[in-house]
Amino acid sequence: MNKDKFAHDRDTLDQQTLNRAYARWAPIYDIVFGGVFDHGRKASIEAAEKLGGRILDVGIGTGISLLDFAPSNQIVGVDISEPMLRRARQRVVEAGLKNVACLAVMDAERLGFADAYFDVLVAQYVITAVPNPDAVLTEFARVTKPGGEIILVNHIGAERGPRRLFELCFAPIARGLGWRPEFPFARIVRWCERSPDVHLIERRPMPPLGHFSLIRLGKLR
Amino acid sequence: MTTSDSPADSVDPKLLEILVCPVTKGPLEYDAARQELISRAARLAYPIRDGIPIMLPEEARRLD
Repeated sequence: MNKDKFAHDRDTLDQQTLNRAYARWAPIYDIVFGGVFDHGRKASIEAAEKLGGRILDVGIGTGISLLDFAPSNQIVGVDISEPMLRRARQRVVEAGLKNVACLAVMDAERLGFADAYFDVLVAQYVITAVPNPDAVLTEFARVTKPGGEIILVNHIGAERGPRRLFELCFAPIARGLGWRPEFPFARIVRWCERSPDVHLIERRPMPPLGHFSLIRLGKLR
Repeated sequence: MTTSDSPADSVDPKLLEILVCPVTKGPLEYDAARQELISRAARLAYPIRDGIPIMLPEEARRLD
């Protein structure tokens, strides 16, 4: 994760940079993404498997979610961090996962897949961390089949109310993770309105406090 | 190049059915000896390190 940092360093991206960033993250990554974000992960996988088929997981990190996918689906995982993918690959080998077709380092804005290749695309905590969220969403729509779904889990800024207070406390943590704590849901809605082949199916607040949202976008047939 | 003599860490030939060039979205060729995925259209060779394709143009080798 922490894609903002990687993205900004893209031009000077080297192994050392990634390793340093990974070293900072590695001790806590599985705890943070395995614990706090457990609910969002499980919910997004459940939503993805309702459709099933070819599933692309963008920002797969160390591959925690790989173990949760049913063996009947074909999973492809990408991340901007090579060290994290190495760990994901190790996980695939150790767990003997036969449903993981490919793990590759990619930029979410420039995916190396053909148009309409995937039945489902899952991206957890990605679009709020990339430099160009609209371009990333457009790329997501490109690789998704007509009739397929884009499933996002994101921290979405509260518009008002008591959660807004919680946001103010959470903001420094969110920034530390490379997220924009103020990322508004309206931005996704506006992108949908500009994209004739995509429509918003659902926005489901996730516990705790609805701080994270599961968002399902449908690609029209 | 056959894949029968490839080391365990080499890339699965099925990858060529899944991956395209992230720049041109065109097909790739697999160079098993160099462990690279080659995009002729983009004139780029994407490295495969420990079985992981690195599909970033800035990490790719330019082909003359």
